[in-house]
Amino acid sequence: MGKPNDLVQGMLDLLILKTISLEPKHGWAIAKRIQQISNQVLQVQQGSLYPALHRLEQKAWIKAKWMESDTGRKAKYYSLTATGRAQLEKEAANWGRLSGAINLVVQSV
Amino acid sequence: MVWPRKVWMRLQTLLRSDQAAHQLDEEVRFHLDEQIAEYVAAGMDPQDARHAAMRLFGNPTSLKETTRETWGWVWWEQIVQDVRYGFRSLRKSPLFTTIAILTLALGIGANTAMFSLLDQVVLRLLPVSHPDQLVIVRETGNHFGNSYGPNTISWPMFEDLRDHNQVFSGMFCRFPATVNIGVTDRSEQISAELVSGQYFSILGVGAALGRTIAPDDDSVPDSAPVAVLSYSFWRSYFGGDPKIIGRTITLNGNAMTVIGIAQPGFDGVELGEPSKVFVPIMMKTEMTPHSDGLKDRRRRLSWVTTYGRLKPGITQQQAELSLQPLLQGILEMESQQPEFARSATADDRQVFLRNRIKLMPGSDNGLGDYMSKPLWLLLALTGAVLLLACSNLANLLLARATARERELAVRRAIGAGRARIVRQLLVESLLLSGVGATAGLAIAFLADRVLLHIYLPADAAAEFVISPIPDARVLAFVVGAMLVTSLFFGLMPAIRGARTEMTMALKDRSRSLSADGILLRRLLVGTQVALSLLLLVGAGLFVRTLRNLETLGPGFPTDHVLTFRIDPSLNGYSDEQTKSFYQRLEVNLQTLPGVSSAGFSAMPLLKGYAWQNAIVGKDFEGAPIEQQPVLSEVSPTYFASVGIPLVAGRTFSTQDPPAAKYAVINEKFAKEYFPGRDPIGQLFGLVDDMQTIIPDTQVIGVISDKKYRELRETPPPQAYFHYVTGTHFRFMNIYLRTQGDPRLLEDALRERMRQFDPHVPVVDLVTMDELIGQSLRTERLVASLSAVFGALATSLSLIGLYGVLAYVVMRRKTEIGIRMALGALKPDVIWLVMREVLILVAAGLLVGIPLTFALSSLVRSQLFGLEPHDPLTLTSAIVGLTFVACLAGLLPALKASRIDPLQSLRDE
Repeated sequence: MGKPNDLVQGMLDLLILKTISLEPKHGWAIAKRIQQISNQVLQVQQGSLYPALHRLEQKAWIKAKWMESDTGRKAKYYSLTATGRAQLEKEAANWGRLSGAINLVVQSV
Repeated sequence: MVWPRKVWMRLQTLLRSDQAAHQLDEEVRFHLDEQIAEYVAAGMDPQDARHAAMRLFGNPTSLKETTRETWGWVWWEQIVQDVRYGFRSLRKSPLFTTIAILTLALGIGANTAMFSLLDQVVLRLLPVSHPDQLVIVRETGNHFGNSYGPNTISWPMFEDLRDHNQVFSGMFCRFPATVNIGVTDRSEQISAELVSGQYFSILGVGAALGRTIAPDDDSVPDSAPVAVLSYSFWRSYFGGDPKIIGRTITLNGNAMTVIGIAQPGFDGVELGEPSKVFVPIMMKTEMTPHSDGLKDRRRRLSWVTTYGRLKPGITQQQAELSLQPLLQGILEMESQQPEFARSATADDRQVFLRNRIKLMPGSDNGLGDYMSKPLWLLLALTGAVLLLACSNLANLLLARATARERELAVRRAIGAGRARIVRQLLVESLLLSGVGATAGLAIAFLADRVLLHIYLPADAAAEFVISPIPDARVLAFVVGAMLVTSLFFGLMPAIRGARTEMTMALKDRSRSLSADGILLRRLLVGTQVALSLLLLVGAGLFVRTLRNLETLGPGFPTDHVLTFRIDPSLNGYSDEQTKSFYQRLEVNLQTLPGVSSAGFSAMPLLKGYAWQNAIVGKDFEGAPIEQQPVLSEVSPTYFASVGIPLVAGRTFSTQDPPAAKYAVINEKFAKEYFPGRDPIGQLFGLVDDMQTIIPDTQVIGVISDKKYRELRETPPPQAYFHYVTGTHFRFMNIYLRTQGDPRLLEDALRERMRQFDPHVPVVDLVTMDELIGQSLRTERLVASLSAVFGALATSLSLIGLYGVLAYVVMRRKTEIGIRMALGALKPDVIWLVMREVLILVAAGLLVGIPLTFALSSLVRSQLFGLEPHDPLTLTSAIVGLTFVACLAGLLPALKASRIDPLQSLRDE
């Protein structure tokens, strides 16, 4: 099992940022949400999710807070920081350009 | 502002890492529980749900590790962990740790001690500003004139160079002298430095109190009765009294005003010869009543040591080139002077004009030359010891790595990476060498104090401040030694350790022990044996040299002799007064109770120098004279006092006519200059550069050959004259033969001398045996240290040898068991192991003997009474080394012979 490469890691970061942009979520909810929205296409490995979350937290793009969950248990909720929000916009724009470009190439043939 | 948050996050995970880890656990558990809840809600059995969730989740430990890595402190945590592991595993094997640290501490300590001694004595620069710019200006070539030493030039030449050079920002000169300092009714002889006016300003040395000597003090001869004291002398002699400034002290009977105290740590430009008082060179006449180079403007009378400070950017070579034309002009002018022209031939003139200016580093001094050779030698010996220590440690660590193969295999099996293991072993050896180096530094510091006192004359050692903080270079040396050592012995086992085949190691201990390890260890032991032989032979040679020097001695009986030096002329006594002083003293000392004979000699015995002069005679004119005879002016009782028997004729007598020119010579002199003739009644004279001398001195007696300058010499030809027939009187060395222990007479003698003349201090009062002990200081230091190093080296090799053999026995346990089961007897087994010992020792000797042969030739000049390839020393070193090696091997051999065959086979 090698390290996730930069593209994969960058995509996961984007997905996480996007997922928590509306409201704070805990790790399990983030994974679940990505799975649902993508129609079960994107399965986030826990082995990648938590390192990614902690890395983003170290970068100060997201911040964490222990809050009570729906079931009444304490859970670690992640939300965007101002830097994170700016980063999300940038990454999203990048992704839009990139996927659009790939689409053009793929469909032109 | 992102970074404060980042820093905060970092600190959180570092300082509250337990809490962070706990929270991570909590987070992971929450995730699992959510997943389980989902599965259960979907109708799964809770137990299955848990398993499914865990399967989906993957390895939680690995996840936690990866997550922790994002915190960015893993490297730090791992190092802390490595250090902790290191300490733990070192503590678990205290014997290994103790031996390893001791080995390192002694190896590094010995090296650092020798290096700082070398550094501070030989390599050290003067404690002045920009010492590297300071050079000594000397004239090389044929001198034609009188000289006070190779580094001196005449006063007029100093003035010419000072006033006309382009390369120095300033020049000064100095002259060392001993002066009598008087306080009330006691007086003492101290070393002084006569300095030109710019001495302090060019050196950049300031005053701790008052002011230093300025150019104004240096214009008119005899007009500057001022003195600057050295800081340490001010503290020791005047108790650091600040009121001394402006007060008057008496130097050689002249009232001098103390104008200042030089900055602490500065005691003149000659290292090892600390000056206690600085006086303007204009006071030369007063400070050295016996000669006056200042007003005597002879251009070929060299006496001042001249220093220049190079202008920035000018190299020594450029300066030499620029000064040479200047010197050329001076030489041309001097060779035209009547004084030169009268005595020199045209050839002489050609030679003279080829003299050159040579610049030397300003910190170059006699002490460095005199001490550096034995110090470099000792440094080389300690280097060998360090090498040995390193190989011993490599051996120890190799043995340890082998013994730990299993442990390392287990650690790799549970997931430790190779790099991680290498790193951990490296950290361990760095820990070892760190502790070793620290202990070594402490040892070095203590050793240096002891060494300095053995090595330097007592008063110089007291003045010589070895700083308690090692300077940057010494520190660099230690750290370098430490790093090289730990890399040398640390990396090798570390790499071997990491390469260990884990399945092999885990499966079967005895078979996994790799063969290249034992080969390497045998090589190391062989090297150790070779180095030990080298050091043992060195120790043997130096110890026997010392013994030879001690037992042979100077040739005359040295017990019951007390000696000291006086110089009444420093008090301004005229020649007549001094002569009468000595004549009265001669009679006076004979009456001191306990003294059987008192004699004087102008030149000292066994101090390493002598008065030498070429001689002429009636019958041996033109005959090749290999060496100039050694001369002295003595009192009639001198020979009896020192204990040199007369073999023919008679000694001087007070009844001799005052104008009679008599000489007493030794047998060597007679053999060399009057071969086959009766020496009594022969005539000779001293060669003088001024005019031809008629050989008018008549030999009246012959003494037997005894050493004169030093213990290493074969007695040179010697001639003695009666001191009363001399023309100028200065210092005398007094020799008293005592009836009892000479040391008991010291107080009485001092008291007698004080009554006789309180203004003439007794200098260097010692017994003859003490004097000889002092003259053998270097030999004693080298002998004792090399003996210690030899012993150290041998014990290190024995430890190495023992280790390898113990390991071999362990490895061959099964084989030995089988042999015994098949009928091998105990002696056979013992022989099996001892054969290994002999092979190792033989291999070591095979390398060691040629090495020793090659290297011992280098110390030929340090030896006395034996050759560098002295067979007795070599043989005893070989036999001794083999013997103790066999003793060290006997322990594992006996252990092997006690192996129970059944037990060993069962283990298999």
